[in-house]
Amino acid sequence: MCKGISILKARLKQELFDQYELEHRITSRGGDAQPELHFMYTDPVVQLPVIHDGQLVIYEWGNRGNKESKLPRTGWCRLESLEAGKWRWLSPEKIVIPANFGLEKSVWFQIHEGMQGVVVHDEQERPHAYMLTQPASHYYQTMTRHERMPILIDQEI
Amino acid sequence: MSRLICVLMYTILRDMIGHVDADCFYVSAERVRYPHLRGMPVGVLGNHGACIIAKSYEMKAAGVPTGMPIWEATPICPQGVFVKRDFRWYEALSRKMLAIVQQASPRVEFYSIDEQFFSTTENTREFAGRLQTEILRQVGVPVSIGIAPTKTLAKLISDSSKPFGYEVLKSDSERLALLRDRPVTDVTGIARRSAKRLAEHGIHTCEEFANADRAFVRWLLTKRGEDLWWELNGTPVLPILVARPRHKFVSRGGSIGKASCDPQRVHAFVVRNIERLVEALAHYRICCDSLILTLLFTNEPERSLRSSLLGSRADFEALLEAAMHLLPRVWQPRSAYVHYMHVIADGLRPLTNRQRSLFEQSQLVDIKRKINNEMGRFALRSGATLPLVDVYGDAANEYDICDIYGKSCF
Repeated sequence: MCKGISILKARLKQELFDQYELEHRITSRGGDAQPELHFMYTDPVVQLPVIHDGQLVIYEWGNRGNKESKLPRTGWCRLESLEAGKWRWLSPEKIVIPANFGLEKSVWFQIHEGMQGVVVHDEQERPHAYMLTQPASHYYQTMTRHERMPILIDQEI
Repeated sequence: MSRLICVLMYTILRDMIGHVDADCFYVSAERVRYPHLRGMPVGVLGNHGACIIAKSYEMKAAGVPTGMPIWEATPICPQGVFVKRDFRWYEALSRKMLAIVQQASPRVEFYSIDEQFFSTTENTREFAGRLQTEILRQVGVPVSIGIAPTKTLAKLISDSSKPFGYEVLKSDSERLALLRDRPVTDVTGIARRSAKRLAEHGIHTCEEFANADRAFVRWLLTKRGEDLWWELNGTPVLPILVARPRHKFVSRGGSIGKASCDPQRVHAFVVRNIERLVEALAHYRICCDSLILTLLFTNEPERSLRSSLLGSRADFEALLEAAMHLLPRVWQPRSAYVHYMHVIADGLRPLTNRQRSLFEQSQLVDIKRKINNEMGRFALRSGATLPLVDVYGDAANEYDICDIYGKSCF
């Protein structure tokens, strides 16, 4: 699967930092490396950058801990489930999750553009982003030792 | 070598040999198209996504060596990022580098995907610096350059100038300083076995090797060793090969990913490698008199056998038949797990000079080649390769390092 993503700071507009208090997410891999922002499913505040209707915004990543919510308590949506209509009652809309790197089982792998996701709304009409997944390719499975992988945009791993 | 000869070498003979060597080439190539990878620890993963085939200096500094499996590298370098290899891209940049060096020199050897040798009468640091800058400007890849009287010295000095350095060996004292305390294994052509034999006679460094008795070196390491002795002493004996020398053999194969004792999977890999071998033979317009199958096992010693062919052949049917004859004989014991294999065409000759067999039949290979040229490599392939869903399902497996033709080295 993909438990976290990283996006280059340069890809995010300054107003997003102010609006969503993203400063604490800024990190670097050292040396001359460009600053990045990490978004992990284990973070205290679970968020994802999302391109929705052409706008880059920050949404809550899935539903990690709200037992009261009707939303699935996960951060990922299986493509097979989506295509089988199991999410239809939530009226999911397709989104893009922009990213430069993904993280799974301690392996940071390169992402060219981003990955596919869906957005659904909770009872208060707040948007929640779920990462779409598919069965992992042989390469991805060897690399990350996980049997599922994100659906990358114009990229094969 | 007498001092007089050395002085003559460096002063009268103006023709020197340059060596261009890209710095962590695969990583640098990825940084050309993904500049944000600069400054990060980056590892490029091999054909199956398990092992690191190239790493950046940042990842090297963290203690990750080439060849290390990814699951061992991540604890050592948790901030490292991993990239899937793309040999088509690496070849594109390699040929751009080659073209620039060819503009700077009339004689250039395409030694490997990231290295070229060239002859030059411009034996200055300024020239080396200009060439380095030009490659960086036009290709985006940092290189190190060495210029010296011989190929072996040029390669040693470019290696010692890394990363992104250049140096010209202009005097015998500089040559001696280069060789001093440098392990003899730094010399291309002296690998573990030769080094062990040299060590038994107290030769551990390049300087000790160069100072050894020439006849003794020839006795110990044959002509190949003697050639290196001359080269280290400043006398050029290894020429710049502007065209790839004729093959002694052609091989295809490599890792099959996770070791397997599944007969269908191993059989499928043999068929895949025979198809690739047939392509290579067609490219070089050669045929072979015999086929060798080598299997490497995880739990048993390597085994290898040869089969003679009926006449000189380059067709899929004949080579496959030979490989299938060899497979059960090489795969012993049958419980052994195969993890590497090679199919090797030996006894090569030009297709035009071959003795045809009385038993040859019409071939499908031309039709297959035409279809694959139109539809993409492996679009039409043997049904025996169907178990390799994982291999053929990944377009990146269509192109490997050995598919880059024209290199004089691997």
